[in-house]
Amino acid sequence: MKLAFRYAWRELRGGGIASLYQFRIVLACLALGVAAIALVGTLRASLTRGIAEQSAALLGGDLAIDGNAEPFPMALRQMLAQHGAQVSELVRMSSLIAAPNGERTLINLKAVDRLYPLKGAVRLSPAMSLSAALAGHGLVAEQIVLDRLRLTRGDIVKIGDASFHLSAALLSQPDATANLGLFGPTVLISSDDLAATHLVQPGALIDRSLRVSLPRGVPATTIAALIQQNFADQGYRVRTSNDDAPGVDRTIDQVSQFLTLVGLASLLVGGIGVAVGVEAWLAARARSIAILRCLGASAELIMAVYLLQCLALAGLGILAGLVVGGVVPWLAGDWLASLLPVPAHFGIYPEPLSLAAFYGVMTTLVFALAPLGRATALSGADLFRDATLPARAPPRSVLVLIIGLLVLVLVFVAVRTSGQSGLALGFAGGAAVTLLLFRLAGGALAGLAARLPRPRSIALRLGLAALHRPGADTRLMLTALGLGLTSLAAIVCTEANLRAIIASQIPAAAPSFYFIDIQPDQVDQFQTILARFSSVRDVTIVPNLRARIVAVDGIPAARFADNPQAGWAVRGDRGLTYAALPPNGTQLLQGSWWPADYDGKPLLSLDQGLAQGLGVGVGDVITVNVLGREIGLTIASTRRIEWRSLSMNYAMVASPGMLEGAPHSNIATLRSDASQDGAILRAVADALPNVTGIHVADILAAVAALVRKLATALAATGAIGLVSGGLVLAGAIAAGQQRRAREAVILKTLGATTGQIRLAFLVEFGAIGVVGGVLAAAIGSAASFAVVHRVMGEDWRATPEPLLATLAVSIAVTLAFGLLSTRGALSAPPAAFLRNE
Amino acid sequence: MLFQRKNRAHVTINSSTLLAAALNPLVIARGLTLTVPSDAGPVNILRGVDFSLNQGEAVGLVGPSGSGKTSLLMLLAGLERATSGSVSIAGTEITKLGEDALARFRRRQIGIVFQAFHLIPTMTALENVAVPMELAGDADAMDRAREALASVGLGHRLTHLPGQLSGGEQQRTALARAYAPRPRLLLADEPTGNLDQATGQMVIELMFEQQRSFGTTLLLITHDPAIAERCDRKCQMADGLLS
Repeated sequence: MKLAFRYAWRELRGGGIASLYQFRIVLACLALGVAAIALVGTLRASLTRGIAEQSAALLGGDLAIDGNAEPFPMALRQMLAQHGAQVSELVRMSSLIAAPNGERTLINLKAVDRLYPLKGAVRLSPAMSLSAALAGHGLVAEQIVLDRLRLTRGDIVKIGDASFHLSAALLSQPDATANLGLFGPTVLISSDDLAATHLVQPGALIDRSLRVSLPRGVPATTIAALIQQNFADQGYRVRTSNDDAPGVDRTIDQVSQFLTLVGLASLLVGGIGVAVGVEAWLAARARSIAILRCLGASAELIMAVYLLQCLALAGLGILAGLVVGGVVPWLAGDWLASLLPVPAHFGIYPEPLSLAAFYGVMTTLVFALAPLGRATALSGADLFRDATLPARAPPRSVLVLIIGLLVLVLVFVAVRTSGQSGLALGFAGGAAVTLLLFRLAGGALAGLAARLPRPRSIALRLGLAALHRPGADTRLMLTALGLGLTSLAAIVCTEANLRAIIASQIPAAAPSFYFIDIQPDQVDQFQTILARFSSVRDVTIVPNLRARIVAVDGIPAARFADNPQAGWAVRGDRGLTYAALPPNGTQLLQGSWWPADYDGKPLLSLDQGLAQGLGVGVGDVITVNVLGREIGLTIASTRRIEWRSLSMNYAMVASPGMLEGAPHSNIATLRSDASQDGAILRAVADALPNVTGIHVADILAAVAALVRKLATALAATGAIGLVSGGLVLAGAIAAGQQRRAREAVILKTLGATTGQIRLAFLVEFGAIGVVGGVLAAAIGSAASFAVVHRVMGEDWRATPEPLLATLAVSIAVTLAFGLLSTRGALSAPPAAFLRNE
Repeated sequence: MLFQRKNRAHVTINSSTLLAAALNPLVIARGLTLTVPSDAGPVNILRGVDFSLNQGEAVGLVGPSGSGKTSLLMLLAGLERATSGSVSIAGTEITKLGEDALARFRRRQIGIVFQAFHLIPTMTALENVAVPMELAGDADAMDRAREALASVGLGHRLTHLPGQLSGGEQQRTALARAYAPRPRLLLADEPTGNLDQATGQMVIELMFEQQRSFGTTLLLITHDPAIAERCDRKCQMADGLLS
């Protein structure tokens, strides 16, 4: 072994920079894959630590109690006071803010008291305290509100019936991670000013919550348990700073697990680059190896000498990857923090870096051992012939066993660290099958090229021949293209399907507006306003009550909180309406609708999915709490509801009668022409300031923007694989470049024009590009089908544009490489090749 | 008869034809210089060479290594650009031609045989020989290539790759490739340099035989005085100049 180290060192010293240059593809492939894995791991560790450190600030207190529209009972406040707690209350609702010029935009209004925030900090621009900003009818709003309404500091704006002066832009606030911004950016006002807005009306869609700060020694979990125990019937959602983080953590874990797998896939593609690079590097050393063999070096010594060099050189690539993936987040921490919705503690985390290094070393070993094995097949006699690396050498069983074991270890670690073994195995299997399919396609393309009738054009003939001649790179180049291009195809195809689903299903049935919080005495005025607009049609106005399910056939609703189909309905308040006649398009699945003049005990028509989740049917009783009063609703029917249509619909529709007397507001939907939308919104808001109009097109635009962001993130992820594939493709082409240049020179000598040589190369690369693109589009479509149809349960449709785009990318990438390769080959000086060697 | 070509008369050149052709040079080179840059300053490889080759003539070019023989051959083949001077072949001044025009000119007019054979390793012997005729658009390229290989005794090696042929077989394939398109000028750069004496002798015999058969003008670079003596004329090159 000492001898192996000595020889390895001598060769490395002798090779110097040239060795690194020959190893460049290996270095780049390893650096990219390791950097991706190290980056994902470091970001994950940074976020987990950041969240753990600031969990109380994220929650806005040690404890958060999310209630409903009803004020919190005094008993609860007294209980908290007995434990020495400090309590801050905030009220949230959707509303409109009006600029001095009458322009309006939807906002998420948050009325806060003077203690807010108990934990964490509100950051404003210009910097000032929140209490100072909200004093004297002040208001702070996210910058996007200022931009949309072209507001500047000091402007007077209106919310409901109250006027406010804009004090500052809101940069950050505690408890903001869950707000995706779909229903408007956040605006903070003082709770002292809330009453003046007249937004708090009976039945209004508002949510109250408490943030609690506990004295030292009082555990939040104990208080949370007390609240759950003593106020079980209130349906409060109680979160502590300890259990709020796991939700975010889970999301981070899932995203980072997925990204780690993507990094691993890019390392897998890079592994092919490692094999190609190591082979080319060994080919350049075939003469040295033959000399060593001639002088008596054993095959084992040759393996040890060159494996050591391989690992030493690969170590540089792995190190580069670790530096990029581990140090860059630390250096760019401030910038990254500004992009992330949750706090992160950036630093150097040894654990993810070690894992990334492990993957790098294992990939090097798995992919370098085969060419190293072939190098040991060189004999001393090769020195007297052409000392070249044998194209095929009978695999030594020990080597095959070692490679197999290494692969098993790699898969085992990947599965264990991914957290989702099914996903990891599926991903690894999918990647392996994809690579295999591309390899088979390479063989099929070469076979087809060999069997095609001889074309008349020599350039065409030379191009086709290059696909199947001995030593052709067809399989390698197709495989290099494979994984990255396929993931890109799958992503664009899935995104196109999502867009198509949103475009085809939602807008056709969607109303133009939702108007919420219309008080019963405002309905006539509301309708009078609408009558002024010719394009207004399909106006539906229904009563809206806030109800909380407290029991299902006598079983406390809290038991269903974790039910995937029903949990959403038993957590907090739900909308409840009543109607004499079934809403348009109602599809009853069980039971029957009550008579139009029904006046008996309260009945209920329930969403079929919710009924299944709760395990109830016709005749069962759902007990709801409406404004503090419990009402038993007997299920008379179940309905199918198409939630995606965005038409107004309720999971629970009760029979009229008892509920008619309860205080409630109304919700209206209507359709109108886009040209009148602005005027309708202004007219309603001017006359009825407490009524909030939600413009559906804006929400859809926000959804579309979210989908776009998601698609961009996924495309960027897919691009890592494509870049790895590009590197391998470059490596494969570089390895064959000398052969191409030599052939080009001989062809030129024999009378081939540059055009003919270029065309021959383009035929070769073009054929690979076309086959690669078609296959990637096909496999990508299949993957997209699995995601859209199997996972999301949606109808999948073939989308030609993204598939054509994939084909175009494939052809463009291969032709670009082909043109570069051709330029290099054509610019090779003939004399250098043709002079006597 | 070495080449059995359809619609093409077999030509035998006798000494009187050669004499007549001597009055009509096929290749005329005037004031050829070739200077290449190097770290140690410009290197003058050719320093003003005036040279001509008459039609059907076989000329042996001899001289020590580094005297500029191969460079002169490269300039005559249009594979390298002269720093100054001109080369005219069959009335065409090739020093004024572009890359592609030169390539097209070579297809019909010039055959080249290298010491290192320079066959395309991924093509069979038959395909290698057919390439220049295919490039010229000859419909019968394959048939002629087959005949050419048979004429050098390789009719049984048509589908072999260069790596499967011995050195002598490879050079015979290269010779067949050079002669098959019937070039007017054949340039050979030490064609026996990589071969043993017996094999080299066989290749040289074939080369002269075909040169005589087709009346091809031959410029042969060699270190072997015996081979040079077999040429009609012998030129000595030293230090970038012809003497």
